[in-house]
Amino acid sequence: MILKVAIVQQIDSMNPFLAVFQSSTEVGRLMYDYLTAYAADDQRVTEGLANRWEPSADKLTWTFTVPEGKTWSDGQPITAHDVAFTYNLMLTNEVARTANGSFVTNFSSVTAPDDRTVVIKTKAPQVTMLALDIPIVPEHVWEKVTNIKDYANDQMPVVGSGPFVLTEHVAGQFIKLKANKNYWRGAPKYDELHFVYFQNSDAAVQALTKGEVDLVNRMAPAQFDSLKDKAGVTRNKAQGRRFVELLINPGARTRTGEPIGDGNPALGDVRVRRAIAQAIDLDALVQRVNLGYAEKGAGLVPPVFGKWHWEPGEKELRTFDPAAANAALDAAGYPRKADGTRFSLRLTGRAGRAYDEQASEYLKRQLGDIGIPLDVRLVSDNQLNEATTVATYDLAFSGWATNVDPDFILGLHTCAQRPGADGKGGTTDAYFCDQAYDELYARQLSEFDEGKRVELVKQMQARFYDQVPAVVLAYENALEAYRSDHFARFTTQPAQGGVIMAQNGMWGYYGAEPAARASASGTTWVGFAVAGGVIVFIVVAIMRQTRRRRATAGERE
Amino acid sequence: MSRFNRSGVAGAAILAVAALVAVIAPLVISADELDVTRVTAAPWQSPGAEFWLGTDHTGRSVALLVAQGAGTSLFVGLTAAVLAVGIGTLVGIVSGHFGGLVAGALLRVTDFFLVLPALVLAIALSTVLPRGLGTIVLAIGLTSWPSTARMVRAQTLTIEARPFVERARALGGGHVHVIGRHVLPSVVPLVLVNATLAVATAIVAESTLAFLGLGDPTRISWGAMLHQAQLHGAVPQRAWWFLLPPGVAIVVVVLAFTLVGRALEAVVTPKR
Amino acid sequence: MRLASRLGGAALSLVMVAVLGFFLFRVVPGDPVVSMTRGRPTTAAMQAELRAQFGLDRPLHEQFWGYFTSLLRGDLGTSFTFRRPVSDVILERLGPTLLLVGTSTVIAVGLGLWLGVLAAWRRDSAFDRTTTGVSLTLWAVPTFWLGMLLMMVTGDLFPSRGMRDTDTAPDFLSQALDVGHHLVLPSLTLVAVVCAEYLLVMRSSLLEEMHAPYLTTARAKGLRDDLVRRRHAVPNAVLPAITLVFLRFGLVVAGAITTETVFSWPGLGLLFYDALTGPDYFLLQGLLVVTAGAVVVMNLLAELLYGVLDPRVKVV
Repeated sequence: MILKVAIVQQIDSMNPFLAVFQSSTEVGRLMYDYLTAYAADDQRVTEGLANRWEPSADKLTWTFTVPEGKTWSDGQPITAHDVAFTYNLMLTNEVARTANGSFVTNFSSVTAPDDRTVVIKTKAPQVTMLALDIPIVPEHVWEKVTNIKDYANDQMPVVGSGPFVLTEHVAGQFIKLKANKNYWRGAPKYDELHFVYFQNSDAAVQALTKGEVDLVNRMAPAQFDSLKDKAGVTRNKAQGRRFVELLINPGARTRTGEPIGDGNPALGDVRVRRAIAQAIDLDALVQRVNLGYAEKGAGLVPPVFGKWHWEPGEKELRTFDPAAANAALDAAGYPRKADGTRFSLRLTGRAGRAYDEQASEYLKRQLGDIGIPLDVRLVSDNQLNEATTVATYDLAFSGWATNVDPDFILGLHTCAQRPGADGKGGTTDAYFCDQAYDELYARQLSEFDEGKRVELVKQMQARFYDQVPAVVLAYENALEAYRSDHFARFTTQPAQGGVIMAQNGMWGYYGAEPAARASASGTTWVGFAVAGGVIVFIVVAIMRQTRRRRATAGERE
Repeated sequence: MSRFNRSGVAGAAILAVAALVAVIAPLVISADELDVTRVTAAPWQSPGAEFWLGTDHTGRSVALLVAQGAGTSLFVGLTAAVLAVGIGTLVGIVSGHFGGLVAGALLRVTDFFLVLPALVLAIALSTVLPRGLGTIVLAIGLTSWPSTARMVRAQTLTIEARPFVERARALGGGHVHVIGRHVLPSVVPLVLVNATLAVATAIVAESTLAFLGLGDPTRISWGAMLHQAQLHGAVPQRAWWFLLPPGVAIVVVVLAFTLVGRALEAVVTPKR
Repeated sequence: MRLASRLGGAALSLVMVAVLGFFLFRVVPGDPVVSMTRGRPTTAAMQAELRAQFGLDRPLHEQFWGYFTSLLRGDLGTSFTFRRPVSDVILERLGPTLLLVGTSTVIAVGLGLWLGVLAAWRRDSAFDRTTTGVSLTLWAVPTFWLGMLLMMVTGDLFPSRGMRDTDTAPDFLSQALDVGHHLVLPSLTLVAVVCAEYLLVMRSSLLEEMHAPYLTTARAKGLRDDLVRRRHAVPNAVLPAITLVFLRFGLVVAGAITTETVFSWPGLGLLFYDALTGPDYFLLQGLLVVTAGAVVVMNLLAELLYGVLDPRVKVV
């Protein structure tokens, strides 16, 4: 039994130290376990390669225990030395930090005093020690690798620790993995897992309806709707990890405080930003653009991560109110001119992304209503990235996928994430820099009492919402569908309303259960027969025509 | 001969209708009917009494979109063709008339652009330049001039070898005189034929670029409609009413330009 | 002498392609490293490391010199997207493209030339009118649209994408049949579009040939029409038509890009489209150099062929 999954993004590398694309990370999770994992049902931290962990009293030393009995796919035992080898490789080799270096920047040393124990010492207390998303590689394979940069990791089958073993990869076409019979959680319930590359999600959806693939994700709402009554197809509307936002350039500056970019100076005024946010009808966007497959936006953490998610209280909530927004702009000193406008803004979005193309129409109208005409500029992906990295935008669409631990998405909006004096090295696109926010960020990073940390994280989101460097427009649902005539059940994460693909784990693929009697497709050769028939018909017709003409030509003489 | 003329007339008639639609559509169709934020009809409706050609993914009438798209497609086709033929004529006459080093260099450049796959270059140009109609026109115009240049050059050389041009030169006619009085008039008919055929190519090129997602997304054109149809899953939904009309419109208009071009060609270059 | 100048011209074109390839794509705005790492925890140091790995931190003129010298050694650099040498990536995708383009060209040339001969020979007949009309219409059809239509019309008969299924038996026959099954729609699309061009070219070439005085002589000698056509007119008209086939190679390249994009055919056209989204400079450069180079070589061949086969032709 084979599970065939459609992917739309390319795979950049099978080398886990180099691979930065989301699709590569997803395949990597199937090949290599991490030190810890996130449970399928509620995303709590659970056993990965290590089953026990203990911080020291000063939180600077962490001791992980790698239990006996777990083996690599080639039968060698997995030990603490493999873990220490992986982390130390990243600490000593700059190239090995390419993909996941951010997780080890605070490490001072990693040692394995015996086969079962890993000791990690950090420079400062770090609350995310159980969220180290680093694939652990087998020392006995990787110690022979001299040049990480050029190592493609394509010695098939690739030795790993995950539920599947990579057996074949043809770039741009497909990836084949076989079930790892030795997997310590137990072997998967089917034999092979294939990822098939698609040009766009439209082609993927079509292949699903034909039964050429079994699982598709990231569908557009209309595509999802089109599968509604399709026999043999089950749809999965899940709470996603992604949100879409509208950036409002708050007067971008570099880390050293130099102004950068050419944002409209009016947007530096928080009253203007609040007025813009108030003039946007989030419900209408969710209903008309997401076709209802989203939840209205508020804080930076999507509701799928329940405990970290923040909802504005009654006092904080900004309801859609163009009249109030108009009044606020008047009061802030931006009166309407003779032609009824106050000032115009550019709205930058990505051409070809359905959300941007449609939402820009709504924003154009809604902001037009408060006297701010929009100049909509839909550009290519890289042009959009360029505009946001050098802050040459007024308003821009953006969006992020969030992780179980909110550290990444929160840290993205600290002052330190802005680019350096040379305009490079920044990772933020919102250019938010707020002292109160940064202090809260520093505090939550060393707060080991989870209840207190949750409180700090919510305060940060409230601060962000209040200062509006960006309006979180919607938490998009992850729209997936699978051939339920081939596969009866998939494990979602979280258990209720969760996703199958793009999890913080590999449960969706690992837990898939084949349907009792999978039907084979019989249409394959009909196409050939029809095509052959048509060709024969055409050839015969033309030949007869020629003969007849020839005959008459001969007679004509 | 007569067949070509008949089909040429048919082509011209189609073009007249298309031009009429392009001019009238923006006047007749209210902006609200094409504004995704204001339409109220259900999306993906198949053709019926209310919407002759059904509705698209946002509930807009496909028939109105096709009518509205005529303007953009024709505009891009015409301007890009004018640009291409303009550059081509200039390069062709200059390299044909002046000769020497300039001609050599121009000929070299022409040959170079002639062999470059035009679509590849046009795609590259439209990724480099900011999105918009101007970019599309530029990308198509800058990549499709060399064949005109080649042809105009050949014609220029032929004309300038004729005795009456040599006579004019001997009588003291300068470059301006020779080009203006003798070369241009003899080149114009050819250029006209070329321009007509170039419009056909340019419209197809525009639709291809738009389909690849490189068009101006804020404007409705036939190619952009097909891009939307693909983006929002018209094929798996079997929404033929969204896929067929813009494509048929392209084919009909391009065919019309080709027919007119061929008819003109037959007139301009009499059979031996 | 003429040969030398032709070769020199082609070489110069190749150099210009190489230079254009480098600068054209450097103008594309955007930092590829930012595009690559978007959406994952990245530090400034990690970005700098990536830039260094791809040589993007060096000044432009150094990058150009490095590019140009390694190009002479046949080294096209390393792709960002695949983290492998560009030449390897291109070689890997060359096969599918050759298969698609090769099959389609052979069918299109054969069918186009044959129908063109028939149409020209019976000029103004119903057959001629129909084929010419159909060709003109097909010539007006945007390739991608035809592909989408075929996909919609054929429904479940043919696979919608790619070159082969992943679960086909590994033996040669099953694999070949599987590839063939996938090949039907894309090659049909490409044939339809390209064939029209060849048909029209062949038709007009033969029409011109038929006005040649020697044909009148042949007829006057009492040769049958059919014989005149087969022995004299066709062979003479085919040569210019075939060289034109070579000259129009760029058309096939364009057709391949759109067809491969519509059908996700894993060839060079699709690779080009993918590389644009990176933007993967090195890959784009490499693809431009390889495709334009192929066209330059094809054109050179066509001109040489033309000169050898038809001594009447003077090189302009």
